[in-house]
Amino acid sequence: MMRRVLVPAQMTARELARRGVALGMLTALPLAFYLASTRSGGDAVITGGISMAFSIAGAAIFIALTARPVDQRLTLAGYRPFELLLGRLLLLELFGLAVAGLFSIVMVVGTGPQHPWLLAGGVGLVALTSVPFGLAVGALVPNELEGVLILIGVVGVQLTLQSTQTLAKFLPFWGAQRLLQHSVEGGVSVSAALPASLAYSVALFFAAAYIVHRRAPVPVAAPTS
Amino acid sequence: MPAAARAATVSSGTAERPEVADPAPRASGGADLEARSVCKRYGDRVVLDNVSLAVHAGESVAITGENGAGKSTLLRICAGLIKPDSGHVSVRGRVGFCPQEPGLFDLLSADDHLALFAPALGLTREQAISEGHALLGEFSFPTAERTQCRRLSGGARQKVNLALALLGNATVLLLDEPYQGFDHGSYVSFWEHVARWTGAGLGVVVVTHLLEENALVEGVVSRVVEMHIPQTGDASGRQ
Repeated sequence: MMRRVLVPAQMTARELARRGVALGMLTALPLAFYLASTRSGGDAVITGGISMAFSIAGAAIFIALTARPVDQRLTLAGYRPFELLLGRLLLLELFGLAVAGLFSIVMVVGTGPQHPWLLAGGVGLVALTSVPFGLAVGALVPNELEGVLILIGVVGVQLTLQSTQTLAKFLPFWGAQRLLQHSVEGGVSVSAALPASLAYSVALFFAAAYIVHRRAPVPVAAPTS
Repeated sequence: MPAAARAATVSSGTAERPEVADPAPRASGGADLEARSVCKRYGDRVVLDNVSLAVHAGESVAITGENGAGKSTLLRICAGLIKPDSGHVSVRGRVGFCPQEPGLFDLLSADDHLALFAPALGLTREQAISEGHALLGEFSFPTAERTQCRRLSGGARQKVNLALALLGNATVLLLDEPYQGFDHGSYVSFWEHVARWTGAGLGVVVVTHLLEENALVEGVVSRVVEMHIPQTGDASGRQ
């Protein structure tokens, strides 16, 4: 089981590492959002942190969609769809947390928040939730365009809403938004932030698993005689 | 059409079906691959109407027919990639499937693909690469290079595609125009390999357009199955 998860993860890493330009853009995108909004004080941390979802979820969507035609053959050869998905989840989470770590350092140095560790926690939660979100969207949509539109829609709406608004609480990055807000402003209740993000991440991952399972090849029966 | 090949017809919407296309008897029992009364439609378009096919161990079957006759759909149903609307498919052992369009990761090399398929087939990485190199070498693929698939020619990509289908211990090979982009030497070699695979006891199904133009399949193909567009549906242009 372990090898059947780690080898797809290794190949996803290899594929991702060979996309040098895309990797650079993935890292630069949230940085651009952050730098563009530094004049608005603490809001820059929320904008920059949440916009990291564009990068991480975007990578997950692209990985899921490019893998789809090959996954059919891999499943036919003997992989379970869940194993392929889990391998990609693990690798992308590692990648996402690495980007989150670097980006947290940049924002802590650049903004000087009241609670630097909560800032890092908020950015980490964005990375944590972005991967299953991207994998679920990538499993659901037929093409990149639809996936990118959903990504822009969800993350864009989350960026425009205050965390106290009702709609914001139903979006995947609400927990991270609360942590980021508290890290710079203080006085925000964050007790539900981590459970909400974890629950959302688990639900999204199992939604992705359900979709890829439904799309997997049907086992062909052995002859009865 | 080669003299050795016996032609049968699997068409749709005709009264004489269901028809098992001239199954060759085998001493050890039934077919390794059997599709019985398979029907498939996409919306209003009937693609397969009550089609049956049986392939035995050591037998090679060529499936021919015009565009839209449902050849690829039948193969994908036999592989389990598509669920038929009705009918039954059974396979003894494991299917090796080579799709018409190479399903490969552009940024991975042939060796990466072999390593990726290894755990699924119960092989070690070394076994998969060794076996894959042997298969690729037979088709003059430069196995010493570690070229990413996006930089390979169409024929070379197709060779990787074919090698992945052959990897492991498949009992039935389903090959959907597997020689696209092959040069003449590789194409000749392909049919020689079909003879070897059937000689080793595998059942081989090849969807092909080139059968009539070629004498290479003489003595290689056990049976030719010709498919037709179902009369009950508009399948123009469908492959």
